[in-house]
Amino acid sequence: MTQEEALRIFKALSDMSRLRIVRALTEGDMYTELLAERLELTASTVSFHMKKLEEAGIVSQHKEQYYTVYSLNREVLGDTLLGAAASEPEGEDGQHKREDAYRRKVIDTFFEYGKLRSIPVQRKKKLICYEVIAEHFVPGRVYSEKELDEIILPIHEDYCTIRRDMISEGILSRNGNEYVRIR
Amino acid sequence: MKEFIEYLTLRIEEGKKDIQALEADGRHDDADFAKVRMNIYDVCRTVTGALKDRPGAGTLAVKAQFDRFRSLWGSALEKAKEHGDTRNVVVEETKLEALEDVIAHFPEAEK
Repeated sequence: MTQEEALRIFKALSDMSRLRIVRALTEGDMYTELLAERLELTASTVSFHMKKLEEAGIVSQHKEQYYTVYSLNREVLGDTLLGAAASEPEGEDGQHKREDAYRRKVIDTFFEYGKLRSIPVQRKKKLICYEVIAEHFVPGRVYSEKELDEIILPIHEDYCTIRRDMISEGILSRNGNEYVRIR
Repeated sequence: MKEFIEYLTLRIEEGKKDIQALEADGRHDDADFAKVRMNIYDVCRTVTGALKDRPGAGTLAVKAQFDRFRSLWGSALEKAKEHGDTRNVVVEETKLEALEDVIAHFPEAEK
């Protein structure tokens, strides 16, 4: 187990509602509605907590007819304390992970369901957002300005600023009315 | 209308106590959802206070604003469900649930 995995488990468990869910699951597999009834929470609140537990690897789910049934991954919980104590510092790999986490956080903050909420002021964050937009373009393929704008417009209404910025940041190159993604 | 505003104020005060109790119980995410619920009562109280006596606005404008909230948050809920965004599903459901309670307590003569 890595330190990051251990941390994810501890974070998921640092909430009494999730601990109560885990305790209920020690009695056996359960479906969302049953957990909601037992814990006096709404089904969607239980689903929210289950997603956090699932992301940490604490529970897993399977379908039984119409129901989503959750089971406890007992081996993960059994390993946690010892695993966390024995895990190695992350070194360079950890640095990459932190950068990835920062990138993920910026994307989650500035994008909602694929749309850019606002253009970040800070250049580092802006670059991350433009790199996400650049993923809509095939590297090396030539786009007309109209094609380019039609791709950017559904992401953010200020497509002119984004187009200009992406050129000045060296993400797109412009030659007359033709644009190419260069990184 | 005075009773309605008093009801919203009561729910805000109850909301504060709920949040404190949930935080004390270590249920931090549920406390966040309780904050969302309390904020809706607060927003509705502000809207009511701002519009009820304004010339050309009045209680019909208050009700119209509540209907706009219902439509906006309903769309946001559908969007969250569509994208499997479990946190926002709970947030939007909580907002709508509180709003329906507010509308249910809106003075009958004004509905």
